[in-house]
Amino acid sequence: MARDRLPVVLERYEAVIGLEVHTELTTLNSKMFCGCPVEFGGEPNTRVCPVCLGLPGALPVPNEAAVEATVLAGLALNCEIAPFSQFHRKQYFYPDMPKDYQISQYDLPFCGLGHLDIEVDGDGAKQRVDLGAEPYATRIGVTRIHLEEDTGKMIHVGGVEGRIAGADHSLVDFNRAGTPLMELVSEPDIRTPEEARRFAQKLRLILLNLGVSDCSMEEGSMRVDGNISIRLRGETELGTKTEIKNMNSFKALHDALAFEIVRQADVLDEGGRIVQETRHWDVTAKRTSTLRSKEQAHDYRYFPEPDMVPFEFTPEWIDAIRVRLPELPDARRERFVRDFGLSPSDARSLSEDVEFSAYFEEAVALAGNSLAKPLANWALGDLSAYLNAGPVALADAKVTPAMLAELVEIIDDGTISGKQAKQVFAEMAESGDAPGAIIELKGMKQVSDTDAIEAAVDRVIAANPDEVASYRAGKTTLIGWFVGQVMREMRGQGNPALVNETLVRKLG
Amino acid sequence: MSFDVSTLSARAIRDGIAARTFSAAEVVDATYARIDAVEGAVHAFNELTPELAREAAGRIDAMVAAGEPLPPLAGVPTGFKDNMNLVGTHTTCSSKILEGFKSPYDCTAVRRLLNAGALPIGKCNMDEFAFGSSTENSAFGPTHNPWDLERVPGGSSGGSAASVSAGMVAVSLGSDTGGSIRQPGALTGTVAMKPTYGRVSRYGVVAFASSLDQIGPFARSVEDAALVLNAISGHDDMDATSVREPVPDFTATLGDGVKGLRIGVVRDMLELEGCAAEVRSATEASVKLLEGLCAEVGDVDLPMSQHGLAAYYIIGPAEASSNLARFDGIRYGHRVAEPSDVLDLYMRSRAEGFGPESIRRIMLGTYALSAGYYDAYYGTAQKTRTLITREFEAAFERFDVLITPTSPTVAFKIGERAEDPLAMYLSDVYTIPLNLAGLPGVSIPCAKCGTSGLPIGVQVIGKHFDEATMLQVAAALEGALALDMTPPAFPLHRRSS
Amino acid sequence: MSISEADVRHVAILARLALSDEQVSRLKEEMNSILGHMDQMQSLDLEGVEPTSHSIPLRNATRPDVVKPGLSRDLALMNAPQAENGAFVIPRIVGVEEGA
Ligand SMILES: [Zn+2]
Repeated sequence: MARDRLPVVLERYEAVIGLEVHTELTTLNSKMFCGCPVEFGGEPNTRVCPVCLGLPGALPVPNEAAVEATVLAGLALNCEIAPFSQFHRKQYFYPDMPKDYQISQYDLPFCGLGHLDIEVDGDGAKQRVDLGAEPYATRIGVTRIHLEEDTGKMIHVGGVEGRIAGADHSLVDFNRAGTPLMELVSEPDIRTPEEARRFAQKLRLILLNLGVSDCSMEEGSMRVDGNISIRLRGETELGTKTEIKNMNSFKALHDALAFEIVRQADVLDEGGRIVQETRHWDVTAKRTSTLRSKEQAHDYRYFPEPDMVPFEFTPEWIDAIRVRLPELPDARRERFVRDFGLSPSDARSLSEDVEFSAYFEEAVALAGNSLAKPLANWALGDLSAYLNAGPVALADAKVTPAMLAELVEIIDDGTISGKQAKQVFAEMAESGDAPGAIIELKGMKQVSDTDAIEAAVDRVIAANPDEVASYRAGKTTLIGWFVGQVMREMRGQGNPALVNETLVRKLG
Repeated sequence: MSFDVSTLSARAIRDGIAARTFSAAEVVDATYARIDAVEGAVHAFNELTPELAREAAGRIDAMVAAGEPLPPLAGVPTGFKDNMNLVGTHTTCSSKILEGFKSPYDCTAVRRLLNAGALPIGKCNMDEFAFGSSTENSAFGPTHNPWDLERVPGGSSGGSAASVSAGMVAVSLGSDTGGSIRQPGALTGTVAMKPTYGRVSRYGVVAFASSLDQIGPFARSVEDAALVLNAISGHDDMDATSVREPVPDFTATLGDGVKGLRIGVVRDMLELEGCAAEVRSATEASVKLLEGLCAEVGDVDLPMSQHGLAAYYIIGPAEASSNLARFDGIRYGHRVAEPSDVLDLYMRSRAEGFGPESIRRIMLGTYALSAGYYDAYYGTAQKTRTLITREFEAAFERFDVLITPTSPTVAFKIGERAEDPLAMYLSDVYTIPLNLAGLPGVSIPCAKCGTSGLPIGVQVIGKHFDEATMLQVAAALEGALALDMTPPAFPLHRRSS
Repeated sequence: MSISEADVRHVAILARLALSDEQVSRLKEEMNSILGHMDQMQSLDLEGVEPTSHSIPLRNATRPDVVKPGLSRDLALMNAPQAENGAFVIPRIVGVEEGA
């Protein structure tokens, strides 16, 4: 396995990786240059118009929200926003491209140089042999972010697994054609497959927080390609790079790059030369293979899109977009640690998703900062388990932030035990009733009345002389059994801490 | 009621219908009768649309019957260049590659003209994809000049020009990328104008060169051209290059004369080698006439504009090569029989579907944009364009309008320049610089050639979005010249009542 | 700059035009003649001159993000040389797979 040999290879070679990330702006209403809706799937050719079908005479008009979303992403990634930018035509013939050119951007993209800071820990950190396997943070440069249009889709008929090779003919569906597509190009600052994965994951979180895309790698609304070369450690010259496509998950991204590093090292070690080419990741075979070599590369004949006029963004316009930047996960995580005293790890988990973090914050606002920690435990524990098990979308969850806050308050004032609380949570998730009502209905109020507890303890001791004798003879592990008996006697409503304390006193 | 539709102005037709002198239905009948009589010799149309015309006429006549006010072009027979989409008609661009193509949507300018009451009479022949200056490059055969059937009507909007000249329609729409409205206007003795770039939406006209194309009218009078311009101008959400400039009533100032207006004669263009003597003298005579009408006339040189042809024959083909990529035989248009694979489908469908001039332009444009040549050709042309634009800006500091000939020669014989692309390209030497600079220009007939009797046109050039002043000068000249531009081959049908 | 027949053939592939040998040799002559004429621009002093892609000073032309009705599938396919199951049919693709 290439993956297993990666650590050994990385001892000698350093990888230089840059990523190209295409993201469909799926949260927009309409396509990039026409009024057709942006949706996934559907019957073929049912979301098309003269513009996105490339009919003679049809003209593209850019979607202003797509331009704004791209600039917003640029600001989130600390990019320079270009004062003068323009669309270009990228020309090549392909059946899924209605006009046989793609409207894209070339030397004048909306967003220029920026960066994204990533953190690497755990096993992934070991890939940086030069850094001694410690957790570390590093900054990855962003070269540019630009806007373009997506292509249509083809269904290949008569071949194997829907691949082109061996197909008899193909069907073209233009529903996806013209979907706004944002392309980010990173600097070749990435050194390990793990860094590539962290970069892509963090970028996805940010774009999700910006609300510009659903970033689904599965449905192809986020697609990551990689450029990769390797060189001997200490070498400053860059090696010949290959481009890797079809990495449809974060794991695929990591594994494909890991494979490619090992493959390139093998070629070099055998005295061979790396061929500059595009390679395809086969997720089943777990290997990359040649898709096309540089000799077949295109002459795209870029030129300024004459159906459109240039863009000139004023500082005021850019500031108006900047105001719309939401709090991003890193800033939110710091605030959760600072204001709520959460552990960095809990804070990270709670801060990544924009809806989940808003849910948590709403509950904290109701219950008070002092209950933030137990709320975090519930949110990351039972709530997450419940959402994942369904799976239930947070928006559809029957447990509201107010209900979770009430539950944690009720636990805090000792009305019910933690164990009871789990039952209450399950009930809430099922019925959507408030915890107070559930406790009332089921008579689950925790009994902290010492007289009632003492009476129950006395009854259990009296009814179980043998066990009492064993305990007193030194078999103190029986205490758990006694607590269970008392709790049963009290129909589960006894305060477990008080029950335990009373038992220990009376048995001792 | 007897009337001669072949000589009536658009305004007279509308007013006649409003006054119930004749009905819109009668206008349709008279129009197709005229077409029956002359179209066989001229071949101005690729398709006639009598059903659409009768439908539209029915709506106009119903308005008359109901006593409703009529729109400004009610009942006016109109031709549309065959690169403009209209639901229910074919759009062929006079190309085999689009034979049979029917658009599922309308061109904005066409729709606006129909909304103003115009009757759609037919789709006019043209040079294939508007590549040409003679309408010989049509897959459906050439259009003949009504003034001399052995001569070309100019191009590429030759069918639109000939249909108006021969009295088959009162007005028509053409498209102008380097002179494709104005040059055939000059060669057929019609009023032909290209508005400022961005004035009229390009949505729905099959693109030749997106940064140069503009739709405009042919008419038999400046006033009719202004009426059409009124109807088709204004911003369109479907065209990112259409402007939001206010649209004045272009007819309002037609009678204001030229007194005090500063008119610049582009001297170096007038003296260009290749400009026929009679064209030069007709232009000079027009200028004298304007001077006599108390215009302030002066000379100006535009040396950069002489490089316009070179810049244009890079920019035009470059954009065209890209705009014509979509004709690939997949979604519409000609598809070769039994393609072995997709590449074969592309290569042979396009080679079979496009005519020689289209192939020439696609090849030139593809080459000019290809790796290694972009800067030398396209980059240089775009910079030359900047210099030409600046030169016009400077000239318009001194003048309100500029005057040049429209075409260096009168109509030439069919076949005469067919084998020499460069000679053909020179037909547009006076019109091209305006497209590069985005300026409006109108050609009006200013003389008939002393030897051949063929029409000669003069071009009035306006400032950006100042079509009004340009048309005002054209109208003053038209009034002073008082020419009868009825082609001799089609003697006037005198009204008998 | 002189254009060879090989150049013409290369450009014809870029432009997806299957040309005959006769067309290639004629286009070679024509393109050399026409582009030779266009070379007159090289005599201009273009140092520091900005390129013009549009002659009017229009900027930032966009449309609001609003859905508009498009074409029915029947209209979308009405001009298709070949259609099947609501999609455009193309013959097999030989050679490379691509993607934007
Ligand atoms: Zn669309």
